[in-house]
Amino acid sequence: MTVDYIFDFLTGLLGGFLGSDYLLLASMLIPCLAIFGFITIYALIVIYAELKVSSFIQDKVGPMGQGVGLHAGKWGLLQPVADALKLLLKEDIIPSSADRPLFILAPFMIFIGAFISFVAIPFGESIIVADLNIGLFYILGVGSIAVLSLILAGWASNNKWSLYGGMRSAAQIVSYEIPAGLSLIVVIMLAGTLNLQDIIKYQEGGIFNWIIFDNPFVPIAFVVYFISALAEVNRTPFDLPESESELVAGFATEYSGMRYAFFFLSEYANMFVVSAVAAAGFLGGWQSPFDGFMSTPAWSVFWMISKTGFLIFVMIWLRWTLPRLRVDQLMNVCWKVFLPIALLNIFGVAIWTVVFNS
Amino acid sequence: MKRYFTDIYESVSSILGGMGITLMHLIKARNDNVTLQYPEEKWPRPERNIGFDHNSYNVIRSRLHVDMDDCIGCLKCERACPVDCIKIVTEKAPVRGEDLKEIKHKGITSNGTRKALVVTRFDIDMSECCYCNLCTYPCPEECIFMTGGPNAKKHPIDYEFSEPDRSDLIYRFAKKGAKEGLAEMNAKQEAEA
Repeated sequence: MTVDYIFDFLTGLLGGFLGSDYLLLASMLIPCLAIFGFITIYALIVIYAELKVSSFIQDKVGPMGQGVGLHAGKWGLLQPVADALKLLLKEDIIPSSADRPLFILAPFMIFIGAFISFVAIPFGESIIVADLNIGLFYILGVGSIAVLSLILAGWASNNKWSLYGGMRSAAQIVSYEIPAGLSLIVVIMLAGTLNLQDIIKYQEGGIFNWIIFDNPFVPIAFVVYFISALAEVNRTPFDLPESESELVAGFATEYSGMRYAFFFLSEYANMFVVSAVAAAGFLGGWQSPFDGFMSTPAWSVFWMISKTGFLIFVMIWLRWTLPRLRVDQLMNVCWKVFLPIALLNIFGVAIWTVVFNS
Repeated sequence: MKRYFTDIYESVSSILGGMGITLMHLIKARNDNVTLQYPEEKWPRPERNIGFDHNSYNVIRSRLHVDMDDCIGCLKCERACPVDCIKIVTEKAPVRGEDLKEIKHKGITSNGTRKALVVTRFDIDMSECCYCNLCTYPCPEECIFMTGGPNAKKHPIDYEFSEPDRSDLIYRFAKKGAKEGLAEMNAKQEAEA
């Protein structure tokens, strides 16, 4: 475990000066700070990418930072920094009729849900905070904290739009976790483990050993997982909880400043988590697509982040292509299309494995 | 049952088609983009002709301009202006038709007229101007004109006149320091006399 490595390192370095309790605390805080820094930098990059991709798709130029006076740098590169500063400096408003403790708790909870998922995401053979033997299950379980906090935000705001947003998010996320989980069962069946590192090691040896190319049923499972994950992180076309044209901003209507920034940040962090799970489960994780070539630890981080980044790009791409679904369409797609397909996929993969792989 | 599968097929194919379209736009964004980076880029000046010959008629009423070296301060343009946006103040020159190098005053116009007056103030408020062009016809020295048309070579044509402050739209054509310089000269002459 990474915490143990850091603890041993710190004990060797500072063992004479500090008690082991302080060193244990420090060795726990260091990965936390690393993850927090990673999320922040990643969010800035993805926000910029989203601004630019959305503008290019609409034949615009996006933030450019031209002209005199204060502007957003070359090609608008400082735009996400300016956005973050704006959110930090904004007034923090709590409505007088809101349920104050719950209102304050909700953004923390959603951020914790996104934050602790990063613990189990592998970036390399030994670059992982906690190599859990149920890593996949842990990430799926922890991801459900988002539902709780969205309902909390919707309820505590004491606002009809927020309540609608919270209710919709609950219905949506609970429903879409089932097809997402069922399509990940395909991965678990093939790899025979819940440990993300072992799942990735199962896909060793080049692009054709990846699980997505294992048999013809897995690509369908991948698509079902990806779309369900899109719904789980409330991205367009499934952004019903915060659909700005109907519900102002859904569960985030009453939030401003830093608290809103936490919702924003955790949405982007969740995007990374679900994309990383898809990359690790189906696309070989940190394995290089070329067998034994470019597979040093640094390259493994590169492969993991580039695979995840590609999936995030597809999410952004989909967002600016498709219109939002209606609530009944959303439920139809989940229960009448994805669930049967995911179940049939499990049968298909099972039969294929028995017939061809044994 | 058949409907179910055709629906799935149609939704998948239409999503892929839509994604293809957006991807094409994403790739070709540099060529297709419609945004004008305004202060750096500007729309080209429209070619206009209201039926008269472009060379003989000052079609493009872009902005009033005054050649102060030719202005004799006759106030004809000020009187012609229907909205009173021209304001001229003149003072008597010490000697008629002589250059005053201290205030960069030219004594003789390009038409050969010897100036009797020094123009110490010549303000045109372009925020009030109605572009009627009436001030240019009475001018005996042809020194007030609209930029554009036959004068396009003399002055670049502008169509925006965007300024950060409204008072910047008052164009002051009189030579800087003319009033103070003239007062100083007069005081010096009085002291000598």
